[in-house]
This record gives sequence, structure tokens and C-alpha cells, in this order.
Amino acid sequence: MEALRNYLENMFANLPNTPEVQRAKSELFQMMEDKYTSLIEEGKKENEAIGIVISEFGNLNEIADSLGISNVVEHPQGIERRHVSKEEAHHYVIEKSHCSFLTGLGVFFCIISPALPSLFEDALPEQLEDALGGAAFFGSIAIAVALFIYSASKMKNWSFLKRYPCSIDYQTADELYKAQKLNNSTKTLHFIIGVLLCILWLIPVSISDALVESSYLADNVMPCIMFLMVGIGVMLIIFSLGKDKAYTTLLGLNDQKTVAGNYESTKSREVVYSNETIANIMSVYWPTVRCVYLIWSFLTFDWLITWIIWPVAAVIHSLVKKNFTEVA
Amino acid sequence: MVEISSDIIRGYNDTIILFLLSEAPSYGYEISKKIKALSEDKYMIKETTLYSAFNRMEKNGYIESYAQVAENGKKRTYYRITEVGMRYYMEKCEEWKLTKDVIERFIRK
Repeated sequence: MEALRNYLENMFANLPNTPEVQRAKSELFQMMEDKYTSLIEEGKKENEAIGIVISEFGNLNEIADSLGISNVVEHPQGIERRHVSKEEAHHYVIEKSHCSFLTGLGVFFCIISPALPSLFEDALPEQLEDALGGAAFFGSIAIAVALFIYSASKMKNWSFLKRYPCSIDYQTADELYKAQKLNNSTKTLHFIIGVLLCILWLIPVSISDALVESSYLADNVMPCIMFLMVGIGVMLIIFSLGKDKAYTTLLGLNDQKTVAGNYESTKSREVVYSNETIANIMSVYWPTVRCVYLIWSFLTFDWLITWIIWPVAAVIHSLVKKNFTEVA
Repeated sequence: MVEISSDIIRGYNDTIILFLLSEAPSYGYEISKKIKALSEDKYMIKETTLYSAFNRMEKNGYIESYAQVAENGKKRTYYRITEVGMRYYMEKCEEWKLTKDVIERFIRK
């Protein structure tokens, strides 16, 4: 049955998305489905049944006139769309998530770089201390830059996705959609752990502050741990979003004006809030957060603390989105 | 084996469908099944042909469509013939009788 669905969807993919065309598609599918079911009941094998249904289906020229789409059927496509195959799509997802991991790792090295020199302080003779500290600092920045350049050059191979109009077929869209849904809980988990790490660095630091007066551990290792936790947190956040973004990019490739742009699986890109009040609040949510952040920061100049608003706001946003949206 | 010419039968698809609908309201696959059975497998209508006929005749007011839940619980589009459709069908029948009468005179037995 999936094969028939694919056949029909691909046949209709480039037609304009009008109610008439949608109706024709669903009517034709009904007939195909009925025929297929009765062939199976007669004892035909699945492949055989699919073959018969497709061979007796006819072609779109027949219905083109009555749907007012003969223009499109006879001169297919105004713009040539590059077709992204299923293998390419899966390859892109893997590569994109790989690269977002490397980017995250790069950001991690950037974040911990200022903390590294303090590890060597008071532990070594003075000249060595400066030399090693400096080396660690610049070393980790160099690693970060290398990682950024590497992942950017990898992603360059895929820049055609943004530069040229592309399309994916029904089966690919369907598979990607399912994979994205499956990935959702992993993504959320990574994201939450990431945000928690960004907040919870306060705990070990304040505990050690309270317990130990002044020692190598409290003065040198603890700041490191703080940077380490924030670094891992940010890395996880970047990584968690990368794969999801890849799915969203691919699912958004099809032209919205055609039937293909309206596959069930690509439709739910838009967020619709079920409650009007919530919808109104959410429409000004991010500007408000930005205002609060700036006002608080400029009034207190506690920039070190005020950024906490962002991860907290993101968590609230995803909670609201989860509880108050309906599938469009 | 001689096959039916799709050019010739095209003008009579409407007549065939209207005849079946005049017996009872029906849906796509059932109609194509009945056509196949009544013609003893000599004529098989393609899905696209059938849908385009439905679409055209509905626009002309010969038939009406309505949704109905079938035995298996699925929603299906059913079609029924209208009065205009019935009159059109009778006209087509007369037309065919005339056509047949004329053509017959030129066919070697």
C-alpha cells in the first residue's frame, strides 16, 4: 500500500496545491486502495496487485483538462528543482549532526580556554607556569578554530540546499518526519542537561567556597570546573539542536505552493497555539525576554549572572510549546 | 485480439457511468468493477479516465457527489445521478441508436 501512496504522491508532487488537485488525489487514491484491497482478497500477491493497479491507473493528462492544470502537466515545472535522494537526505542528517558536534566541541574549547592557565598557577615554578598556561590557552583556541574551519568546510558541500531550489519525494519526507519525531526525546534530553549544566556550576563552586578557605583546589581547580560545566552545557545545547535543524531544513525544501509542499509530514512546521491568550503572549515572548535581560543587566551590571535568563527562557518556551500547541 | 478503440469509447464513458448510476448510487471502484463485469472484461476503464468523467459530469450537473462511510468504516465519495443527468443519458441513448443504425449500414458482415 505504501508503494501506491508513493506512486501517487510522486505523480502529483509538482502540481499546484489547490483544493481541486487535492480532491483528485484523494479520490484517485481511494480507487487505487479499493482495487488493491479487492485484488489481495482475490488471492493476488502484494507485488502483483501493485503492478496491476499502477498499470491500469492511466495518466495525468486525462484529468489535466478538467482540473485546469494542463499547463503544468504538459510543461512540467517552471523552475528546475534539484531532487535530493533518500540516501543524500540521510547522509546530510548524519553529516550535519556530526558537524554540529564538532562545532559544539569547538565552542567548548573556547569557553574553557581562559580557565586553563589557572590550573598551572602555584603548582609549578614561575617561568614554566606562564609558558604552560599560555600554551594551554592558545592551544585550546587553536583547536577550537581548527574544529570550526573543518566543520564549516564539511557543510559547504551541502550549501546547494540553501542556494538552489530543491525537493524531496514523499517517501523521504515521510521517513525524515518519523526520524525527527524519534529524535525529539534525545534532543530534549541533551538540551535540558545542557541548560542544567549551565546553571548548576554554581553548586560545586559555592560548596567548595564554603568548605575550603583557600587552597589550590578552591582557587585554581574550581574556576576550571565552572568553565568546564558551562562548556559541556553549551556543547550539548548546540549538538542537540543540530540534528533537529537538519531534519527541519530537509522537510522545508519542497515548494509550498505545490502538492509536495503540503505532505502531511511537512505541514506541522508551523506552531499553532491552542489558546488565544497564550498565542498573544507568545508572540511578544522573545522581545520581552530580551528587554528584561537588557534592563536587568544595565541596571545591575551583573552580566555574569543575568545571562541565566536565556536558558531559563528557553526552557519555559519549550514547556509552553509542548503543552499548548495543537498539531496543525 | 481486437481491442476497443479508446477514441471511440471516450464519447460514451459518460453514458456507461450514467447507466450504472441510474441503477444505484455508487463509488469509483465499484463502477469500474461493474464496467469490467458487464463488458465481460472487454473494456476496462482507467482510474484517471473515470475521475475525469466524474469531475466533468459533476460540473455539468449530471451527477452529485456525497461522502458516506462505507462498510469497512472508511469515508468514501459516492455519486448519484441527477434529473438533468437522466435527461442527458436518454439523449445519449437516442444518439447511440442513430449512430449505430448509420454505421451498421457500412459494416461488412
